[in-house]
Amino acid sequence: MTRGGIIRRVRTILAATASWLRTVGRRVLGRTRGDSSSGDLHTRVTFRACVDAVIPTTPELADELGPEHVPGGNDVGVAEFLARYVGDRVQIGIPHTRHDVDVVKPIANVLDAAALKLISRGDNEDEPNEERPVAFFEGADVPADRIRDVAGPFARLSPRDRLRAIHVLDEIEAQFTLPDGRFVEFDGGLVGQLVVGFPKLIYYSEWDGYPDPESMPFGQDHPNDPASVQGWRQTGFPGFTNGYACLRGYLGTEDGTLGSEDAWTTIDDRDGSSVSLFESPGRFRENDYDTDGYVEPYPEGGV
Amino acid sequence: MVDAEYDAVVVGAGGDGPVAAWKLAEAGLSVLLLEAGPFHGNEKWPDPHGDPGAEASSDVDDLSGELLDEQFTTREFEMVNRLIFGPADENRGIWARKFPGDGAILQCAGVGGTTLHYTGCHPRAYPAAIDEQGHWPIDYADLLPYYREVEELCDVQPAPVTAKEELFFRGAAAAGWEFIDGMNVTSPGYRPQPNAIRRPDRSLHVDGDYDGEFTYPDVTGHTLGLGEIAGNPHPRGAPFEEKAKRASNVSFVPAAMRTGNVTVRPNAFAVDVTTETPLGDTPTATGVTFRDTWSGSTTTVEAEVVVLAAGAIETPRLWLNADLPDEEWVGRGLTLHFGDNVMGLWDADDLEATLGKPTVDQHEGQNIAARFDYPGLGMLQTVGTTPGVGAILGFGASASGFAFQHDTEDAPWDTMGRLAGPDLKRLLSDYRRMLPVLVVSDDRPLKRNGVTVQDGAEDEHGPIPLVNYTPSEADRKRRDELAEIAAEILREAGASHVHRSDSPPTALHLHSTMRMGKVVDEACEAYAVDRLFVADHSALANGVGGPNPTNTGQALAARTGEKIVERYF
Repeated sequence: MTRGGIIRRVRTILAATASWLRTVGRRVLGRTRGDSSSGDLHTRVTFRACVDAVIPTTPELADELGPEHVPGGNDVGVAEFLARYVGDRVQIGIPHTRHDVDVVKPIANVLDAAALKLISRGDNEDEPNEERPVAFFEGADVPADRIRDVAGPFARLSPRDRLRAIHVLDEIEAQFTLPDGRFVEFDGGLVGQLVVGFPKLIYYSEWDGYPDPESMPFGQDHPNDPASVQGWRQTGFPGFTNGYACLRGYLGTEDGTLGSEDAWTTIDDRDGSSVSLFESPGRFRENDYDTDGYVEPYPEGGV
Repeated sequence: MVDAEYDAVVVGAGGDGPVAAWKLAEAGLSVLLLEAGPFHGNEKWPDPHGDPGAEASSDVDDLSGELLDEQFTTREFEMVNRLIFGPADENRGIWARKFPGDGAILQCAGVGGTTLHYTGCHPRAYPAAIDEQGHWPIDYADLLPYYREVEELCDVQPAPVTAKEELFFRGAAAAGWEFIDGMNVTSPGYRPQPNAIRRPDRSLHVDGDYDGEFTYPDVTGHTLGLGEIAGNPHPRGAPFEEKAKRASNVSFVPAAMRTGNVTVRPNAFAVDVTTETPLGDTPTATGVTFRDTWSGSTTTVEAEVVVLAAGAIETPRLWLNADLPDEEWVGRGLTLHFGDNVMGLWDADDLEATLGKPTVDQHEGQNIAARFDYPGLGMLQTVGTTPGVGAILGFGASASGFAFQHDTEDAPWDTMGRLAGPDLKRLLSDYRRMLPVLVVSDDRPLKRNGVTVQDGAEDEHGPIPLVNYTPSEADRKRRDELAEIAAEILREAGASHVHRSDSPPTALHLHSTMRMGKVVDEACEAYAVDRLFVADHSALANGVGGPNPTNTGQALAARTGEKIVERYF
């Protein structure tokens, strides 16, 4: 890196750190004034930043795949549901029995820490930008200046830099005992699972089709209409069904025990003994076996 | 009503516990079968996730196919959350377990255990994994009569072929692999899955112009619309025991209850094994204390023998949390079939030429119906999934970061890693032209891998399981070779794009944390505690070579049931 590059990098780190400290300061001050919504908005912005990186709104796919592929997770409220879902159902590090440990806000803060780590290493490819988080709320009734105020360094990263920051977390593992004796193991990889894996499960499942998608699905009816779920519209999944008439047959050979009755199509006709799909399954052979010739392909070394 | 004492208490009504309970009850013994989760499809619990319901059930007539239809909706997000390992009360979170990295433990709570969402796959172990790898004190031949018994009760049969399986078989044949038709596999090749799922009605053939309902009694057996991972109530309308997937709640639980000697007690989390040490040396198990997951009240029952069948995580956890002797290998030696996901995508024209239609349609057929075996390495199997589960399994996690961070120019795959952003949406827009293949490796039991507990990391049932797992270098090589074979099969089948997840260790199959020969003897009785037996996958001495472990776990549990009767009754 050139001297100018180093200076720019240092400036970026300082600017990001200062910006984040301002944000934390505002949140602390906000809380002391009794305005708890600032902290919540930070969490919401951060979770929206995750969803925007994982399942973004993609106008660029309109021509390539069709207009139904444009909306993303934030257009159907995945981030807000994800935060509730993780908060209600997942326990990280500290097992809890009384639902009194908030894991959602710490996740948002850990993502900010990961962003700072990425920036401090110089591994971000784009400059952080405070306008990015504003775009996550397009169409939502949240003032842009409030978003700029509370957005942390993670939300200001470009989408791919956000993913890089999440990957930074995969390296972090910590164990410690709290003053009250509770033992805590923290594995950063779990955060990635929650903010990358879970949104995919939620978004591409039937979740979006429930009459009340803000609540868990239990006890809710579902229209099971392929048009009723954004993720289904984008995958072509036709909805859940009681069955399909799609049986092609059963694998077997003319001279073996697997496969019987008429052949429908041939799978392999090497060596004169053709493998085909038959009308009925036949049965597996209760064959003799001899393991004397077994060779360990990759022996364990001294275990 | 739960009595104060029984001949046997079995802790866990998962895949294996009901098998042991059935064997013991068939011998005329009184059995209490405890289960931490709810009892679905039972008239004693019409709302098993919303209301505590009754205490116990011991009448097979309590089982209701109609209730199972109602409770197993097959909606993937709802059912994953319904069945995942946690309390029946739907207003509470899941039970915590610590697992390394961004992997996960995928286990269910409820009568049937993880067979509630298993895909019915019931192959036997590879004979060489039992007889040649040096872990087992008994022979493969010792298991054979029990395999046959289990396979008969579970109706194990060759899985049907739909488009996705045909595509895989064509790829495997074109790649030069041999066709296998035997139950006892000693060389590599491809074959249909031996599935514990009743065959579909022959009227469902693609050429049959079927336009009827896919419900009982219009059709019997599997209805070819996936559903196994979501519990599988198909065919809807069928009586409880006529459901196609022979999960243990449908196969062994009714068989056990029909004896009239078994009481099933759901919502009962075992927290202690009681013992006596009358001679001052080896303790003897005398009973079990369990906690009601709704009320929090605890109950202790006495028994002549105690059988632990809570699974490879909870069985060692229970041992470690109970006042039982410190044993070097308790919780150690975990194998989990260190796996991966490789998937192919096809162009519509190529599929039209191969299959006669422009889509693979992974949502049709049974979830897992085609397999590739390779003793010494493990196995491959096609996996049809609904899109949410497919997205998290196939693209949700990776040990090596995101796809855009990898140069795959010289790799057998076009992309590798987690997918996100426009790349993810683009790929999933081809959901119907995609075939995922699950890589399942024959990882070996290492002492460093397993379950521990630590004071302070607790939930309402005591210290939680802290699971650690790091594969060996040889484990990685086995998995990598299988992933390369998968990629080649998909290419030979005409895939235009191959993606590899490079998945982190994820616990779909869990075994060997209370290994025969280390913690338990050849009858699966603990060396350190008399009258304490283990009848679940934790007693397996290794990962059985890579094949799906349910058949072997159940065969061993059946054998253990007989050994218990021989030793103590």
